[in-house]
Amino acid sequence: MMPSICIYFQVHQPVRLRRFSIFEQRQPENLFERYFDVKLNREVFNKVADKCYLPTNSLLLELIKKYGEKFKISYSLTGTFLEQATQYRPEVLDSFHALAETGSVDFLNETYYHSLSSLFEDKTEFVEQVRKHSEELKERFGVEADVFRNTEALFSNDIARLAEEFGYKGIIGEGHERVLGWRSPNYVYSVKGCKKIKALLRNYKLSDDVSYRFSAQWWSEFPLTADKYAKWLASSQGQCINLFMDYETFGEHQWKETGIFEFLRQFPEEAMKYGNLNFRTPDDVIREQQPVGEIDVPYALSWADIERDASAWLGNAMQRECFSLLQSLETPVREARDEEMLHIWRLLQNSDHLYYLCTKSWADGDVHKYFSPFPSPYDGFINLMNILQDFKKQVERA
Amino acid sequence: MRVAMIGWEYPPFQTGGLAVHCYELTHALAAKGVKVDFYMPRTDSDITTQDHNIRIIPVAHAKFGAYVTKHAYGPEFFSNVHAFNNDAAEQIAKNDRHVHYNLIHHHDWMTAFAAMKAKYSIDRPMVSTFHSIEFDRSGMWPNEYILNIEKQMAATADRVITVSNYMKGRLVEKLGADIAKIRVVYNAIDAADFKKHWDVSHGKERIILFLGRLTDQKGPTQFLHAAKLVLDKERNIRFVIVGTGDMLGYLINLAISLGIGDRVTFIGYLPDEQKRYVYAKSDVYVMPSVSEPFGITALEAMASGTPVLVSKTSGAAEVTPHRLTVDFWDINQMAEKMVALLRYKVLSETLGKEELHDALELTWDKIAEETMRVYEEIAVG
Repeated sequence: MMPSICIYFQVHQPVRLRRFSIFEQRQPENLFERYFDVKLNREVFNKVADKCYLPTNSLLLELIKKYGEKFKISYSLTGTFLEQATQYRPEVLDSFHALAETGSVDFLNETYYHSLSSLFEDKTEFVEQVRKHSEELKERFGVEADVFRNTEALFSNDIARLAEEFGYKGIIGEGHERVLGWRSPNYVYSVKGCKKIKALLRNYKLSDDVSYRFSAQWWSEFPLTADKYAKWLASSQGQCINLFMDYETFGEHQWKETGIFEFLRQFPEEAMKYGNLNFRTPDDVIREQQPVGEIDVPYALSWADIERDASAWLGNAMQRECFSLLQSLETPVREARDEEMLHIWRLLQNSDHLYYLCTKSWADGDVHKYFSPFPSPYDGFINLMNILQDFKKQVERA
Repeated sequence: MRVAMIGWEYPPFQTGGLAVHCYELTHALAAKGVKVDFYMPRTDSDITTQDHNIRIIPVAHAKFGAYVTKHAYGPEFFSNVHAFNNDAAEQIAKNDRHVHYNLIHHHDWMTAFAAMKAKYSIDRPMVSTFHSIEFDRSGMWPNEYILNIEKQMAATADRVITVSNYMKGRLVEKLGADIAKIRVVYNAIDAADFKKHWDVSHGKERIILFLGRLTDQKGPTQFLHAAKLVLDKERNIRFVIVGTGDMLGYLINLAISLGIGDRVTFIGYLPDEQKRYVYAKSDVYVMPSVSEPFGITALEAMASGTPVLVSKTSGAAEVTPHRLTVDFWDINQMAEKMVALLRYKVLSETLGKEELHDALELTWDKIAEETMRVYEEIAVG
């Protein structure tokens, strides 16, 4: 069987919080400026745009033009990414438009706010955020996605069933042993309790070889070259090799100096040397392939940390307290009937805010630390909780 | 292994934390089979020990105690220190002919001459422990003479032990010590002493505790200014200050002039047992020190399950990631974090629980083990 290389890049930027102090002399009246750090967000966005988005987009556009329909990729762009791109760096959006117009690029749907609303008891919010994202994609790029990817690939039978009810034909998940057992992630699976939706599971080993280990000198396969990687893919069995990774891998997590762009440039050609490999988007795979078996995921599975569950965001009591406070604000926020307030509440749901409060102290702690703007999860908690409490007051006043 | 250790106080003769440290360390080492001869100034009462691996060897009668302020350093003080050091070095050389020491280990500058002299006369490696440096004790105006001894001691020692990475950095920066020979060995406490107060009930009035000498180095002024800010936001809080020192009068007046006199209680000196009760009874422990080589009080609060807020310039900030830190001068941040600990139960409970866990890990047995590892690096047969 000819395995297809199925690439999807996650493109996300959170709207980062401001350092909020209860002892501030004057706090901005405008709620957005009150809670979010406009200057920091602009800086970060521009930095990542220069290091990753613009050079990677232009390289991929070049490759697609060179290989035509033979080279295909897909993206999931969060709503908070799109908003910030519009606000801080419109040329980044233009470059995504240029990619979309090639016909070799597909887009996935997710929650607009990169939130954990799929874990709310009441699913109304989840439904609305997914709808908002789908409308946004239609408006901006004129596309309707067939495949859904939940925040951080959070996946369970229930989430898959909801996605199916929304009309999605496919859903992204993590190809972890906990779900697959001895089975390979390189096949399409059906999901227990669902009728037709097909699960595409990330080949985390091959994905992480690029996104995580590419520049790791401790790794026995270092340095990773395009021809070596293509050889690994060509010797794989299955229907599809799902390479799902954060887009910031290119130029941001793996710096330009590591040679990551040269790798990316050479990769399609190296892969095409093998007659048994081709490139397909998730939409293609869902259309062309039939499930070979069923997976059963009663508890939420994600692509984060060693545990691959929701513990990166809800693993400790501080995270759960913030999450439940956010959830409890739903009714009062909706009753306030204030669009701005609703938007702020949703921005606060961004999963990154909870990720910074993670206290798991072993190997994974490093990753959380790398991404966190706070010196410790406790400082992160104080800042988030102060903001949530202040927001709660504002909502009650409204 | 046999060690000639030199200190200047040992229980029951004690003026500061060093006596406790020497007592616990010698006993923990002895339990691991290390024979320790502990040289110290002769005191009016006999100091004895039950442990057959430890010998307390009193040498020259020296009348000196803890250096609290630089005014304590009179000419007589230094000549006493010298007399003791000379005598200790001679005694070590004499005893070495019978017992053979594998190395010499001494604590702080007051015993440095003895160690250096003995090192050369019997040609054995020397380990120096810095519990603090002159800069930590006297801030901006170090005593040059002591500073020079500390530099010599750092340069001569084969291995230097500091009680924190923070101190390690200061030794390199302030004394020009060679970073390659510095090893960090933290302080420890005996957690069992704190156990019986773990379940003490908390009243409706919440307590924020300061415990330490009332001198600028410990940051009591910032503590009161932060208290003022906290009281603008929160009710039913009491700020408790345990300890004595030069600044007591000043601080009482400051509390009154800030208008928070009725919310601040000055307790003065407290014996150990009552201190442990106060730690446990408190809701937050704050250590706003300007520069704290280690900060054993923070570790004591942790062992009591009380969440701690410590200055970034302290060794205690290193022993657990489960604590809050603040710049000692940042009153707003200090108040912000005090309020957070009072308001958000989930935060103080998480910190309290995790800190306690980490404090229990830091045992004297572990400290002895790490000290022995330093010994093994350099000990001669």
